[in-house]
Amino acid sequence: MQKGKEVTRRQFLKGSIGAAAAFTIVPRHVLGGPGQTPPSETFGGALIGCGGRGNGTFGELGPNVEKLAICDVKFVGRADNKKVYTDFRRVLERKDIDVVAIATPPHWHALISIAAMEAGKDVLCEKPMTRFIAEGRAVAEAEKRYNRIFQVGTFGRFGASQNESNILTHKIMKSGLLKNCKAVHIKRGGLKVKEWSGMVNAQPQPIPKSLDWDMYCGPSPLRPYHPHRFGGTHRGYWDYEGGGLADMGQHHYDPVQWTFAKDDTSPVEIEAYAPPAHPEACGMWGWVEMKYADGLTFVFDSGEWGEPYNRKEPRDVSISELDEESRKKIETMPDPEPLVRFPDAIRTRKQAGGHAAAAHRCATLLHLANIAIRTGRKLHYDPVKEEIIGDEEANRLVNQPMRAPWHL
Amino acid sequence: MEKPSSPLALLVSRMPDPDEQGMYCTDINKQKIDSAISEIHEGGRKNVIGLIDMLVPPGEGNDVKPHYALHCLAVYVCKLNDERQQRRFAETLASQLGGDRPKAVQRYLVRQLQVAGGKEVVETLGKLLTDEELCEPAAQALAAIGDGATEQLRNALPEVRGRYRLTIVQNLGVVRDAKSVGALKKLLGDEDREVRLAAAWALANIGDASSVGALLKAADAEGVYERIKATQACLLLAENLLEAGRKSEAMKLYTHLRDTRTDPAEQYVRDAAKKGLAAAG
Repeated sequence: MQKGKEVTRRQFLKGSIGAAAAFTIVPRHVLGGPGQTPPSETFGGALIGCGGRGNGTFGELGPNVEKLAICDVKFVGRADNKKVYTDFRRVLERKDIDVVAIATPPHWHALISIAAMEAGKDVLCEKPMTRFIAEGRAVAEAEKRYNRIFQVGTFGRFGASQNESNILTHKIMKSGLLKNCKAVHIKRGGLKVKEWSGMVNAQPQPIPKSLDWDMYCGPSPLRPYHPHRFGGTHRGYWDYEGGGLADMGQHHYDPVQWTFAKDDTSPVEIEAYAPPAHPEACGMWGWVEMKYADGLTFVFDSGEWGEPYNRKEPRDVSISELDEESRKKIETMPDPEPLVRFPDAIRTRKQAGGHAAAAHRCATLLHLANIAIRTGRKLHYDPVKEEIIGDEEANRLVNQPMRAPWHL
Repeated sequence: MEKPSSPLALLVSRMPDPDEQGMYCTDINKQKIDSAISEIHEGGRKNVIGLIDMLVPPGEGNDVKPHYALHCLAVYVCKLNDERQQRRFAETLASQLGGDRPKAVQRYLVRQLQVAGGKEVVETLGKLLTDEELCEPAAQALAAIGDGATEQLRNALPEVRGRYRLTIVQNLGVVRDAKSVGALKKLLGDEDREVRLAAAWALANIGDASSVGALLKAADAEGVYERIKATQACLLLAENLLEAGRKSEAMKLYTHLRDTRTDPAEQYVRDAAKKGLAAAG
């Protein structure tokens, strides 16, 4: 960029200059910012996936995003490729789209997020962030490679990170001073296991004329159409999501993961209590216990099948578990930086609070839990290599093949 | 309901019945299922074939229980941690492929091989790559199994047409077959955009240093989406080359992208290239 040349909003948004120099070169009143956004400062937005969560997700982009395009595979016959689309790739080609809200079923989340960032867009993507573990790593790599803003569509950590008790726990855990963590967090109920189960006896039905079923299936196997595989109840099928555990789990564990400072790692032992899983339909399970390397334990207890979890009782982290010297270190530690919400992140180019790398670690909890349920085996996980140790067949669920032309 | 007419049918009948919503949410008895699956397994090959005989294509009957039981069996043999038993199970499934069984049933067997199969079944899966109805699941199962899959995919490439050629090209990239580089390079000029893009990504994922020039040419394409995806392939190739110590080739990719992405709308690519150059030192 030439020195002294006016910086347009688009140049600021697309480039890295904003991150490096926004507050020295460009007057804040030109660029806008929290509470100072000029009326002319709007972003071009697109909504991809216009089902039940669509408009709500788009609303999370912030007040200064103009909806220029909507896209859904159910718009066959009404798409004009100007405002209404069936193919997200056409939307991403548009230079006037700056930010994208993704509210498709989860089997499309990673692929569209990555494609959007490859096209220079910022992304707010509904939860769960992904359908399997390798997808999350690929999204985080795209976020880093292209220096884009990514926020997953669950926001509990923003409130949790302002709570004094949570901040203290966060600091203790972040410090690494607690060597043997005995804390146990149990999520009991609220995981909609029955509600988001799949049908095991669905018979093929005619594909509605308004639906591009092949595109809907996308990277997942092309199955015979059945309405239960579409429109919300898709949550009950491994092809598209992972049942209530995947659907609700990220809501619950996103703030918990922040509180316990586990945004950059994953559990090392995962064990489930569940009946054998169906190959296509998500179904019943009892509980899943997940232990981190430092001893911290997270538990999903469905309360909907079998005996409740009773191995451990819930337990918090206490500063009294530290010696005096460590306590003093914690007292002098600065509080963590406030998390940045998406509307501010896209203006300031600061990383969003629910960024891809953190959201990926939270989604990994759900996926590991579901892999333990599906394989019926105790898993040992390497959080650095992001592989299950010594279980080749279980690893096939960590990184799942996709139907061409879709790939990570 | 008809009374089970054989010991196997009796065991299969112990699988749960779908509830009123057609789901497995009510009266799911783990112990009952586990013990039935264990007994089915004890019956060996005969029982596996018997289960497969009970399968029907979607819409042509009720096979809910044997469908579930076969998958439970696939997971069960993985849990045994006994390579010989797992191999025997996989070979039995593979023996039922390529024949007269309905294609939908064969697809299901291939998916169970993706769960429990190993190198003993890759040759059988390889033969399915030229079958338009089985190519996609077979390629996915091969990619998941990994061990021995590369040669099967490579050999299939000259034999397949249409959408399934795309499947093979993509999966050659997934398994990172360096011996397919020549064939993949030729496909960069294919008339099918998806094949061109799949070939570019495959070469990038393989990390082929000789593809630098060809991928840069592809990345300067006029079509917006193709330009975006081919540019991504260039950045991926550069990262793979850097990791392999091929610094000069990586820098060539980054330098080209830095110098050609002058449109403000492509500033983010320019920045990504600059970041890559800085990392390359």
